[in-house]
Amino acid sequence: MQVWFRFGEVAIVAPRFGLVPIWSQPARPWRRKQILSCSSRGGGCGGGGEEEEEGGGGCGGGGAMTYFPEEVVEHIFSFLPAQRDRNTVSLVCKVWYEIERLSRRGVFVGNCYAVRAGRVAARFPNVRALTVKGKPHFADFNLVPPDWGGYAAPWIEAAARGCHGLEELRMKRMVVSDESLELLARSFPRFRALVLISCEGFSTDGLAAVASHCKLLRELDLQENEVEDRGPRWLSCFPDSCTSLVSLNFACIKGEVNAGSLERLVSRSPNLRSLRLNRSVSVDTLAKILLRTPNLEDLGTGNLTDDFQTESYFKLTSALEKCKMLRSLSGFWDASPVCLSFIYPLCAQLTGLNLSYAPTLDASDLTKMISRCVKLQRLWVLDCISDKGLQVVASSCKDLQELRVFPSDFYVAGYSAVTEEGLVAVSLGCPKLNSLLYFCHQMTNAALVTVAKNCPNFTRFRLCILEPGKPDVVTSQPLDEGFGAIVRECKGLQRLSISGLLTDKVFMYIGKYAKQLEMLSIAFAGDSDKGMMHVMNGCKNLRKLEIRDSPFGDAALLGNFARYETMRSLWMSSCNVTLKGCQVLASKMPMLNVEVINERDGSNEMEENHGDLPKVEKLYVYRTTAGARDDAPNFMVGGIWEEAGAAATVAVADNLLIPIATAVAAGRLDGLIVIN
Amino acid sequence: MAAAAAEATTDGGGKMIILISADGKRFEVTEAVASQSQLISNMIEDDCTENGVRLPNVDGDILTMVVDYCNMHAGDAAAAGDTMKASSTEEELKKFDAELVQALENPVLFKLILAANFLNIKSLLDMTCQRVADMMSGKTPEQMRETFSIENDFTPEEEAAIRQENAWAFDD
Repeated sequence: MQVWFRFGEVAIVAPRFGLVPIWSQPARPWRRKQILSCSSRGGGCGGGGEEEEEGGGGCGGGGAMTYFPEEVVEHIFSFLPAQRDRNTVSLVCKVWYEIERLSRRGVFVGNCYAVRAGRVAARFPNVRALTVKGKPHFADFNLVPPDWGGYAAPWIEAAARGCHGLEELRMKRMVVSDESLELLARSFPRFRALVLISCEGFSTDGLAAVASHCKLLRELDLQENEVEDRGPRWLSCFPDSCTSLVSLNFACIKGEVNAGSLERLVSRSPNLRSLRLNRSVSVDTLAKILLRTPNLEDLGTGNLTDDFQTESYFKLTSALEKCKMLRSLSGFWDASPVCLSFIYPLCAQLTGLNLSYAPTLDASDLTKMISRCVKLQRLWVLDCISDKGLQVVASSCKDLQELRVFPSDFYVAGYSAVTEEGLVAVSLGCPKLNSLLYFCHQMTNAALVTVAKNCPNFTRFRLCILEPGKPDVVTSQPLDEGFGAIVRECKGLQRLSISGLLTDKVFMYIGKYAKQLEMLSIAFAGDSDKGMMHVMNGCKNLRKLEIRDSPFGDAALLGNFARYETMRSLWMSSCNVTLKGCQVLASKMPMLNVEVINERDGSNEMEENHGDLPKVEKLYVYRTTAGARDDAPNFMVGGIWEEAGAAATVAVADNLLIPIATAVAAGRLDGLIVIN
Repeated sequence: MAAAAAEATTDGGGKMIILISADGKRFEVTEAVASQSQLISNMIEDDCTENGVRLPNVDGDILTMVVDYCNMHAGDAAAAGDTMKASSTEEELKKFDAELVQALENPVLFKLILAANFLNIKSLLDMTCQRVADMMSGKTPEQMRETFSIENDFTPEEEAAIRQENAWAFDD
């Protein structure tokens, strides 16, 4: 993780990825099999005797999809890659359910605790591409304890037992061990794509196993993972027979790689389209590699310091000029301003540029480069670009669709961070802008109203004002009207993060207008339970709600608890929810898992709160078909919990996971089950 | 109409084959056209097409469409002996295909799928199955049952369980 900064008292790391499941169209051997199948009403459609031609090849049935051979139904389903459609098909009738489950190639599990891995493997034994997501999104902001869970092992083990055809595995925010990678490497003979995003728990030894054994590997994409480095050996483990790589990204690996191994690997990978190197790769190596990859479309550079000789950079320029397909550039580790000019010739063809790893570049360095990138659609940059730099973006990049401005690691005198001015400028100059992540120091309502008018096509709008609760910097008013304008004008908004001084009014606007909203992140906002209720009652499409440091309590939590079955998850930390509220929720909604995470000593939890049950530090609620999870860390318990002094109500709450210390402090525990 | 002799040859020298539908309609096509059906191609290889190929589960109206389709798609090989039909351009083919499947009512479309499957004409099967998949996309299970005349044989409990698992575990 690169970009750290302080938000209140919690270190935050800026997220920077988008997980796009790639569905594989099944490469299906053409079979000849004639089986009469599929129960049906028969002559509902077009007449014709449903009994005719039973032995004649299944071709004589009526007009309905009666008597379609299974293989034909399966073939039709093969043209339905979207999980949503596959889900629908599985509900039509028993035969379709069977055909669908046995032919589903792509499976996406948005919460690894919503279903058991074994169940997924049993239902979809022929899955080729599996995507699983683990920890809550706020893990990116260090709000989830490191041992919370999200383990990959059960998934890889279940697949190894029952899904030998697995070819692609994508995981996000999961704990992946070297043993799991080893198992993966040896279990799937056709394995070809491993994508790990914001994962941890493994070392380069695990990668060595994948490199050694996955002979058909096409994609090894490691994004923002915490990888323990055990030396450069892993990259040398790709056998000479491995010639199938299309995508290789090891930018997050901190240690050295062997330049010779890298060159050899690249030179025997004629299909390589995406290559993202790490900080250890020199300009000389990069220049040599690029001569071998004329078809490269996406490049993450290695180190671009000025320690290297100018001659090396001349070589780099001439190598880059041969990469006519190159469209996307990232990396720029330790980039020296003078080295950037060697990249300039490439700029005009770029559609994607990620400069967020380059704190060494100042506003003028960045703008000199960006002003040449006239075809840019996606730009990630640090806030040292300044408002002035964003004006250059606005005047140069007319096709810009996605902009992310991250906070710098450190403040350097003379760099001015971005404000509302830069955002307004970009919204004026870049009318196609539809996705924004913007960390800034100040904002105004007027600016947000203008932005909303200029860019009504936002689907993702994430604004993070670094100082919590900061009002409109001009009027000192809350930013309710500004965000209200965003949700009112941007009808297709799916993801929203709000910050700054905000009252319940902003939630009224969100509930009223944000009808397509799927994910909402709230920090330091609102003034009563009503705020959260507006969202819970109004945003009918909401699937993920994450809230921190906001004054929402039990009334808000319980006000519309049936909604949680229509949502993937709710996260609340440092809010006003109490254990009692969690207990009530758990008992009313047995299909939800209600996890309480308190990291401080339980005894501290009893303070204040006028004699009521203590507030919970963190609460994570999600629907699940799997019941209470069995891998909760040993500081959490599930079981029968009896409230102190209220013997009349004994709550049976298998689905309530609370820390032992908190439970002991709060009351007597009956039938305690400690889960290790 | 159909040639009396199934072994007739065209002026261009391509061998002709007679296809006979369930209702006795006869279609004379070149080997190149007929060979797009893997089933018939295999029969040609096995030399068992002399007396015509009987297709007892393909109606004449459906076989008409299949033959039209194969004629359009036979390309240069088919057009070699037929000056009236120069090889179709790609756009013409696309247009022809689109019009063919778009215009069809479900009962006919389904029969065409079954014929394409039986005759093993992969491109025609893909195209027609794609059309059905397009019709399915975005529909509810109830709408699918209605559209395709399929009876719901789940118990309410079974259906609820699958619905819940789909929505909770496999939401995208």
